[in-house]
Amino acid sequence: MGYVAVTAGEEIIERAEDLFEKQRLAGDEDTITVDQLEGQLERLTAQAMSEGGLYAPRLAALAVKQAQGDTVEAAFLLRAYRSTLERWDESVPVEPAEMFATRRVSPAFKDVPGGQILGPTKDYTQRLLDFDLEGEDDPDDPTETWDLEDAEPTTLTNVMDVLREEGLVHDPEVPDVDAPTDTTREPVTPPVDRDAVLQELARGETGAVTALGYSALRGYGQVHPTLAEVRVGKLPLTIEHPYTGDEVTVADVDVSESEAVVPVYAKRDDPQFAFGYGLTFGRNERKVIAMTILDASIQLDSEDEPAENAEFVLDVVDGMDSFGFIEHLKLPHYVTFQSILDRIRAIRERQGAGATGDDDAKRSTADDSTESGENEPTDRETIEASDDD
Amino acid sequence: MTETDDIDVETAVPTDSVEAALENLEGDGLEGYNYAYLDEHTKREVRRATLKAIAIPGHQVPYASRPMPLARGWGTGGIQASLSLLGPEDTFKVIDQGSDESVNAANIRRLAEDTAEVATTTDTTEADVIQTRHRIPEEVLTEEQILVLQVPVTDALRKVDSSDAANRRRHAHRNYGKMWVHLYENVVEWGEINIASRYPTMVGGRYLMDPSPIPRWDVPKLDDADTLFVFAAGREARIYAVPPHTGVEPLAFEDRSFQIERFPDQSCAACGSTDTYLTEVETDDGERYYACNDTSFCLKRQDDPALPKDHHLERSGVDWGPGTPDTGATDGGDDE
Repeated sequence: MGYVAVTAGEEIIERAEDLFEKQRLAGDEDTITVDQLEGQLERLTAQAMSEGGLYAPRLAALAVKQAQGDTVEAAFLLRAYRSTLERWDESVPVEPAEMFATRRVSPAFKDVPGGQILGPTKDYTQRLLDFDLEGEDDPDDPTETWDLEDAEPTTLTNVMDVLREEGLVHDPEVPDVDAPTDTTREPVTPPVDRDAVLQELARGETGAVTALGYSALRGYGQVHPTLAEVRVGKLPLTIEHPYTGDEVTVADVDVSESEAVVPVYAKRDDPQFAFGYGLTFGRNERKVIAMTILDASIQLDSEDEPAENAEFVLDVVDGMDSFGFIEHLKLPHYVTFQSILDRIRAIRERQGAGATGDDDAKRSTADDSTESGENEPTDRETIEASDDD
Repeated sequence: MTETDDIDVETAVPTDSVEAALENLEGDGLEGYNYAYLDEHTKREVRRATLKAIAIPGHQVPYASRPMPLARGWGTGGIQASLSLLGPEDTFKVIDQGSDESVNAANIRRLAEDTAEVATTTDTTEADVIQTRHRIPEEVLTEEQILVLQVPVTDALRKVDSSDAANRRRHAHRNYGKMWVHLYENVVEWGEINIASRYPTMVGGRYLMDPSPIPRWDVPKLDDADTLFVFAAGREARIYAVPPHTGVEPLAFEDRSFQIERFPDQSCAACGSTDTYLTEVETDDGERYYACNDTSFCLKRQDDPALPKDHHLERSGVDWGPGTPDTGATDGGDDE
């Protein structure tokens, strides 16, 4: 009768936790350090921060370690921790043009103000397994001998601004910078403002954002954008000094950013490109580009295609939600299943299908194994009778 | 900055440096967290949503559901509602699919014990707040008790339209035609309504409500009860309620009535009860037997097979769904 009355539930939970922890410690190797995760598996920690909506590289590395590399679980740990923290202040809005870019490509133009910066990327590397990485021993920094004297950071002009100056791209609605929506503190109820859409997309699960963005590109939608630029770099985190009121930069935040023009003309009398925007914590170019497609698609405000329906996209894009509800199916469901069994048996009986079938045979077996046949309820008969109405 | 006015400086987690936060993480248990896990501002917000829900029976009230240290879909709405209601004097009971000892119930109970220092019980009659997944206990609940039901899908209309925006308009206009058509098509196709649990239910003659996936067996207990029922969804961020003595009526037709689950010729293999919700158990040797789903009441019935469901009340003959006097549902016919 183990499943009906699982006793000692708490002890079982603790043992399950111990077994999970053992998986991490079972090998003979040294345990991986939080420093190593933060320094060498930055893509994992970036994804956890992005989906967790909390910029904290050190905590993200800890979460990835605790989750044994499961990024959604790590993001979940960060969100649960973040929800217990008080919010002390809000940062000053920052211009993306202030970004210290380590990478910037503009597919829309051959050359752009500030130039194309390829930066660190594997985009053009042939995907061949590098067997030298196995058993590598204190490798040298391949950029050690580079002559970097002339490499000064330049201020980049936003490509989108160039197009907007010419009037080719319509301006976004000006958000309320004094009272931005915060979907972690306010319920998301349709119709949803664009700032809430962007926040939810920025925290969306990477795979879900990518898949939905791809759906539009694949043909389930009108948006096939031209990227104005994709950038990876650091943005300053600026706050107002509590005493002087001056703006002071207190930290940098690694972000990925993407902007696109979409050849859909917004207005007939003044044809302008539609556009899309994406930004998320850490380096995750595929997520921000997909986010850009989704932002552009949602701005079309149609229910014709999945990616263009804000309600649909926001309902399914969050990793915490989908992860939790998908995995909840593992919980016991025998109450509801009993209810479902009752319905199908009643309908089979009504149609004459169940009358001589397996059900009755099994039921009489069950009947034999019960002890209290004498206590027959009188109301059962009437239920049965009404069933046959 | 109103949110920071409520900070309890003593218990707030240090945020001055990552090292301090990490150090705090390595501390003992849940030290460093606020009483009942959620900060006071959040608990107040949940209570406000609950009060609003009580004021408009059956209406779904959005609230800013917080990430909890449990997975969404595993009772995070219920635990937020429970933690916002519980105080140190309260006794808390948690059941999952009728059982106090299921692993998820134990986990939720453990969270409340660790963070809110409440006493816990498995005895339905001793609890002040009961959090439940998909059952209403067999023993009659009183006006002193609150039942918090975990909700996976907040809207009964989701069956007929996936869009919340469209369904909110339908609720506003009390426009439930699409659901009636769905039920009618059920009857045409199958001869009867084939909705098993999550049975669409009218509250106070105004709002159509998803009573959570409780079996149909439990739906009549919602009608004109002494107890406050709070329905809380974490993932979908909605709270709704059925206040005491509210009319609750499952949708049905005059000639196709609401029917509860039937257990023809069956009784509980453990206590012999024939007036409780039973579930089937398949054994290793291919046998099948039925057993009470409410394990706490089943244990009491094993000691006293004649124990009525209102044994703890001063009055008797209390109407509490199937197997109790005066309930319309036991005849399987009338939905009044």
